[in-house]
Amino acid sequence: MKRLLLGTTAVSLLTLSSLAHATTIELQRFFGACDAEYGKMTDVSAAVGECGIITTLVNKFEADNPDIDVKVTTVEWPGYDQLNAQLASRSAPDVVSIHYSAMSDYQSRGLLVPLDKLLKDQGIKTTDFTDAAISSVTKEDKIYALPFDNWTMLFHVNNNLMKQAGLMQADGRPLLPTSRDEFFAQGKQFQEATGKPYLIQVLANETSTYARFFYTLMMQQDSKFFDDPSHIDLSGEDAKAALTLMKDITSKGFSAKDLDYPAAVSAFANGDGGIAVNGTWLIGSYDAQSKEANNVLSDGYRVFPSPQFFPQKNATYADGHGWVVPRGDRSNEKMAAIGKLFKFFYDNNYQWARTGHLPTVKKVIASDAFTSLPHRSDIAEIAQTGQALPGEVLRQFAIQDILGEELGSAVNGNKSIDEALETAQYRINDLLENI
Amino acid sequence: MAESYRRSRWTNGLFVVPYLSVFVTLLVFPLAWGIWLSLNKVDLFGGERFIGLKNYARVLSDPVFGQAVKNTVIFVGVSVPTLVVLGLFLALALNKTTKGSSFLRGLFFASSILSVTIVTLIWRIVFIPSDGLIALIFEFFGWQPIGFLSTKGWALFSVGVATVWWCIGLPMMLFLAALQQIPKDLYEAAALDNASRWRVLTRITLPSIKSTIMLVAVIQVVMQFQLFGQAQLMTNGGPAGSSRPIVMYIYEVGFLRWDIGMGAAASQVLFLIILCAAMLQYWISTRKEEVDA
Repeated sequence: MKRLLLGTTAVSLLTLSSLAHATTIELQRFFGACDAEYGKMTDVSAAVGECGIITTLVNKFEADNPDIDVKVTTVEWPGYDQLNAQLASRSAPDVVSIHYSAMSDYQSRGLLVPLDKLLKDQGIKTTDFTDAAISSVTKEDKIYALPFDNWTMLFHVNNNLMKQAGLMQADGRPLLPTSRDEFFAQGKQFQEATGKPYLIQVLANETSTYARFFYTLMMQQDSKFFDDPSHIDLSGEDAKAALTLMKDITSKGFSAKDLDYPAAVSAFANGDGGIAVNGTWLIGSYDAQSKEANNVLSDGYRVFPSPQFFPQKNATYADGHGWVVPRGDRSNEKMAAIGKLFKFFYDNNYQWARTGHLPTVKKVIASDAFTSLPHRSDIAEIAQTGQALPGEVLRQFAIQDILGEELGSAVNGNKSIDEALETAQYRINDLLENI
Repeated sequence: MAESYRRSRWTNGLFVVPYLSVFVTLLVFPLAWGIWLSLNKVDLFGGERFIGLKNYARVLSDPVFGQAVKNTVIFVGVSVPTLVVLGLFLALALNKTTKGSSFLRGLFFASSILSVTIVTLIWRIVFIPSDGLIALIFEFFGWQPIGFLSTKGWALFSVGVATVWWCIGLPMMLFLAALQQIPKDLYEAAALDNASRWRVLTRITLPSIKSTIMLVAVIQVVMQFQLFGQAQLMTNGGPAGSSRPIVMYIYEVGFLRWDIGMGAAASQVLFLIILCAAMLQYWISTRKEEVDA
């Protein structure tokens, strides 16, 4: 009994002593919650999807670094309300997932810690990253985030339905439009043959999809709508042409209506339409589904960049995710632990790229492992055609909400095109003028 | 009077100090600070600059705010009477001491304990096209589906249905408590007089619980003017802002645009609207009482 007591006490003291030395990193992220499936998994290569891979990555990091404890808080996408409240009350976490498009808001107010030294200490060089990624996280010659990926909206295609519609080419690729007219002709052919909508879009309870598609259409017209980062110009014919196209797609019946985000994701997975307009992050999940037997996507899934609707420029709106360190007092020990975590993320950029996102590390993009992943060659051009809003444009998420709401009003017939564009311009400029 | 005055000491005031300190810290101070912020150009991270009433001018000239006020007033105008009438109806129907009525009371009250997230998830499953419960019913009958959450007109209605389902428990319980306070002999006398059920309801029951009806109405007016979670999670205020309530406008301006000054100004306007609505309701009820007297 005495031995048992002594033994238990010794084990307890050892455990307490190891806990006392463990450095805790408070990590806050979006990408969803999936603890039931991946909460204890450390085999990153077996994980699928954004949530599965990031959860497993953190588990693996903790297993490899027993002296570091990563305490994860999962927030509702995009999580900036919570981050704002934490920053305002000076209780921000140590590491936070962020969109490149949101970074300027925080960096311009001195709310982010520059990471040049932290990355250098880990042997990570700026030249290791793609130009698109490193330029997105560099502000005033300093790096403010570990670039994790680049993403864009894509056309996820159900080849089984395209085949039924006679829209497959001899090489096994679906026939996709290369112009506005071709889009409507092929859409008509698809719907007559299958009785299903050509496009599945997120049109309900969501503003970002409207805005992102609109940005792409504006960029394809080489529009300078944010020539001055403090003012948006939606008064030109380019804006009208872009919104008219968006409205025609819906009003002429080429798109499923009334679907919110989860409903749209599952509608495509259930074979309720030909092409899902959604992000790179779904490639891994849809591809995994296509490898299963007896479902609507079995051996019938491909994915491509948004078609070029306007002849001026081959472009598509792109953004990305990075990891930032909010301002706050942290010990050298904690900063070193964060550095280790960032190095781990950097080393595992390929694993994250399996979600469908484009990697940010040059050697990963060039690696056989990445290029041999399914569908990557089909979307490779995004590296050249992906385009972001100017980094100096502040409040890009708020702008996206306003713009998306007004565009949605026009697309769904609640406002005229002119009225929607005029109101969007007024509201966005009012916002920017009062920052 | 003189005796009690003589016996009173200032140290007796210490009894109210705990309450007063909480009241001042959590209510008076935030209210005063909110008013001060509304007079400043200030964002989430500081930069305070006094600008007088400019934020109020911006809020009141913003058509989006006007639309949010209209949406909220319509919502309150429909949901509050529904909650009062339905709550009263349920209370009258379940004012018995049977096992069945106890079970049903629990069942109707159960929705009140759910969080807004769960409530909106449940109603999303009901309303969402293609997979939703109503969509399946429509499909069964071969009717055209309705985009309840994405169609102007239906969106606010859908938020209202979810809200009534969520909030009905409290009015029902308050009415039940009031009904059980009515002396039984009044009903016995009415039965001896062979009074009809309608007459009993209008001459005994309703006058006896008049103050509770008023209480429920005022509580619901104050609560429903603060509609936010259901609208944000079910419709995101859309389509075309047709289901955006005032609190959502305040949230968007304050937290998405970081314009805390303007958000605070909109909050003060909402405070005044709720105050006026509650006072109006109180005035109407007391005025009627005087006329009755």
